[in-house]
Parts: sequence; structure tokens; C-alpha cells
Amino acid sequence: MDRAPAITLAGLSKKFGTLAAVSDVDLTIEPGEVVALLGPNGAGKSTTIDLLLGLAVPTAGSAELFGEDPRRAIVTGRVGAMLQGGALLPTTTVRESVALIHALHKHPLSVDEAMERAGISDLARQKVASLSGGQLQRARFAVAVLSNPDLLILDEPTAAMDVAARHSFWSSMREFTGQGKTVVFATHYLDEADTFADRIVIMNSGRVIADGTPSEVKSVVSGRTLSFTLAAPDETGLDRLPGANGIDIRGSRVSLHSEDSDATLRALLTAFPGATDIEIVSRSMDDAFMALTGSSTSSATTGKGATK
Amino acid sequence: MNIRYFGLEIARQLRDARSLVFTFAVPIVMLLIFGGVYGSQYDHEAHLQWIIVTTVQMGAYGAMMAALAQAFTIVNERSVGWNRQLRITPLSGTGYMITKVASAMAVGLASIIVVILVSIIVLHAHLSVGGWVMAGLGLWIGIIPFSLIAILIAQFAKLQFAQPLFMVTFLGLALLGGLWVPLDILPHWISNVAQVAPSYWLNKLGQMGAGLTGNVGTPALVLGGWTIVLAVLIAWRYRRDSARA
Repeated sequence: MDRAPAITLAGLSKKFGTLAAVSDVDLTIEPGEVVALLGPNGAGKSTTIDLLLGLAVPTAGSAELFGEDPRRAIVTGRVGAMLQGGALLPTTTVRESVALIHALHKHPLSVDEAMERAGISDLARQKVASLSGGQLQRARFAVAVLSNPDLLILDEPTAAMDVAARHSFWSSMREFTGQGKTVVFATHYLDEADTFADRIVIMNSGRVIADGTPSEVKSVVSGRTLSFTLAAPDETGLDRLPGANGIDIRGSRVSLHSEDSDATLRALLTAFPGATDIEIVSRSMDDAFMALTGSSTSSATTGKGATK
Repeated sequence: MNIRYFGLEIARQLRDARSLVFTFAVPIVMLLIFGGVYGSQYDHEAHLQWIIVTTVQMGAYGAMMAALAQAFTIVNERSVGWNRQLRITPLSGTGYMITKVASAMAVGLASIIVVILVSIIVLHAHLSVGGWVMAGLGLWIGIIPFSLIAILIAQFAKLQFAQPLFMVTFLGLALLGGLWVPLDILPHWISNVAQVAPSYWLNKLGQMGAGLTGNVGTPALVLGGWTIVLAVLIAWRYRRDSARA
């Protein structure tokens, strides 16, 4: 193994006409990292992936994989990818499509082993056109791991997968990352980023706006949320509880954001003995995401099942 | 070129029955109709039996269609995202195009062989072995520019325009090549234009092969000229596309 970072992006920018899809992105990803690339639609995630694979030419800056030109990493099979808009041939069987790509690689896994790793051995004889969305994604995963790459780039790998399919997909992914390989995945699913990545990079409007461990990213929105039921709640009084820094009232249900939930709770029980069904939860990844991107939850999760 | 990939690619295309219906069935049906009706007559201009002239015509027709149809294969593959998948493999852009030209040539050759075999077996057409081989070879070499036209159509055409663009190109070339109706029944200016059409010389090259006669200088010049011009256009377009990526 060499010492070069798996991915080095320096001042990377891409303009389409006057639209800046990616602006001055600097990012270094070391071998062995599992990184989630998070951001709302149009944040520049897919363009960044195209640039780092050398599929698009940057307007400014550079992208290197393992210290070399991205094309070189593709030719030597050190990088595998599942891209948006990339697909297999609908008229072929799964095995035929995988075998076609297999024939192009220099030192690939066997076709059977790649299909085994992606959990699609039982789909080998099926026509690609007849696969479900989740099965197709797994077939594309088989193609991505064919060259036995050190670095995997996955652009929304679990789009179009149901819950069970997502679960089994991530367990095959764990096997892969367990071998010390590098994975970068773009996703709309905040919980996926939280659960599977050890580093989260959040993009918005073509820029990196946050980069850290999941807990670091979540700490952007510190504190906890207390929610409770109260007859005829009124903001006055509640907002004077110690630590409180935000109130949302819906009917008789109150959500109260607090920097010091212990103090808030003690004061609440004294001042409002009528409060029932009290719950205290940490601020979620969603909250962190919203705080960072300034976008609504709905636009952050509309990607469910869709590919833009 | 990656031989194993090319082999799988050809096997795949030859198995794809839908595209082969047009490549193989249309010229064969036309051969059976025209060959059966006029077969025994003699074409004094080509100095060949009419059955041979028709076989060469239909061989040219099928091979031309097979080569041009590669445009659809490419446009379809691009639209489903297969090309995007290929871009993250060691296959280069040039390697891809060379494979597609080779595929067009391979399917074209299959079409030529099928037409000749039908003519021999079903219509009992008589020609020396050398005549058949040279006729087939002439047609096969003659479709090189057509496989390049296919690449060029695929480079320019979006999915919805590929069909009309293919039809206009194909019908125009079939007409100018005299593959449907003899050129002398058409207006004079059409036969003049036909002198520079690759399809006209494709047909002539096949006839020369069948008769084992004639000067191949002119067809070589016209078809070679087309090949060079098309290759330059393709390279130019390819560079422009890569620069804009």
C-alpha cells in the first residue's frame, strides 16, 4: 500500500455556463475511510463524483486518486464506482452484462465472485430489464466491485431500494469496508450517513459546508429537545425556563429546545406540574443537516426512491 | 482492441433477434421475390446473370443496413447509461469506437454470408467459388465507410432523432446505390449524384467481385475518400465532446 491519499481534491471547481455546480472544493480522503457525501439535490455531489473520477473536466483545480490521474486509477482497477445514470444493458441477462464489463478489466474478480459479493448469484440468468430497482442497484454494485478496487465511489447506492434491500446492501458493504478499503458514498438518507460513515462531508450550493465525524456534525446543533403535553400551553412562561432557546407548540404538544436539558426539566416540573408524557431526545442528524444547509427537511429527503 | 470483449459484444448482437430481423429478413425476402421472378435473365450491362446481380444488390442492402444499424445500438446504449458504465472501465473512448466499427463489420459480414447462402441453396444461383468469395469480400470491404456513418449518426443524434436520421440516410443511400430500382429509370441528375455515393460503389464493387472483372480503382478511390472524410469528422466531434465534458 502506498501512502498517497485515496482522494485528493484541490480547489476543484466546475461551471456549467454561469452556474457554478462545484466551487473551490478541497478535500483529502485517506485510505480506509468511509465517507458519506451529504447534501440536498443540486448541492454538487454528483458533479463532484464525476470530477473526481475524471468523467468531467474541472473548470479549475484538480482531482487525484491515489496521487495519480483518475483515469489511471480506473485503468488499473483501483477504483470502482456506482454512478447516477450508469446502467447495465436491459436486453442482456445480469450475468452477460457483468461478463461484458469483466472482459474489460485487467485483473478482475471472477464474474461469480463479484455476483456473490453483491448477493445476486440467484439473479444471474434474469434479464436486466426485469430487475426491481433494488436488484438493479445490487447488480451495479457487482460491476463496481469487479476490479476488486481499493476505493469504491457510490452515488446514492440505496436509491430505489426498500428497507430490507438497504439493510442487506449495507451488510455487503460492511464486508467490503472490513477489508480496510475506502468508500465514498453520496446519499440523501441522513440515517445512512450517521450509521455507516465514519466521516461526513456536507455539501450545499457546490461547496463543502461541514466535514467531520457524525457526532461532530451533529454537535452543530447542540442540546436536546424536550417534548411534553400541557393543557392550553402558552409561550410566555415556558420561554423563561432555564436553558430554553426555542419553542414549538402544536395543539397541546410542546417541543422545547434546550442547551441544558437537566436544568430545563427540573424547572419545568416545578413550574408546570401539569406537564405529562415528557420525552427528551438528542437533536438529530436531520436537525444538524437543516441547520447547516438552511433547507427544509422535505427537500432533504425527497430523494427517497427517486434519482432526481 | 480487447478481443474477449469484442467476442462477447458480437455474440450479444447476433443473439439480439429484434435487430436481426431487419438486417437479415428484409434483404432475404426481397432476394426471394426478385431472384425468383427475374432470376434466369441476363444483365448485359453488368455481364452477370440477373440472379447474381440481385444477390449482390441484396447483399449490399443487408450489409449496409447492418452497418448503419450500429448507430441505434450506440444511441440506445448511451441512453440507458451503458456508456457511462463503460467509462469507469479500462476501455478508452477510441477503443469503444473501434469495437463498434468492428461490430458493424462483423454483423455486416454475417448478413452478406446469409444472403449468399440463401441465393446458392434456395435459388440455385451459379457462380464460381472465387466469384462468390470476391463478391462477398468486395461488399464487406465496401461497408467500411457505412460503419463510420453509423458512428457519426450516433455521435450527433439524440435518441428521438436517431430513427429519422437513420431512415433518411439509409433510404437515400439505398436509392442512390441502385439497390431497389435500376438507376437508369430515375431522373438523370440522380444517376449523376450516385457517382459519388458510397452505396453505388458498394454495389459495383460486389458486381466486380462476382464477375472477377473490372477496375477497382474508382470504387477504392470513392470509398476510401468517404472513409477518410468520415474518420476525420468523427475524430473532430469526439475531441470536441471530450473537451466539453
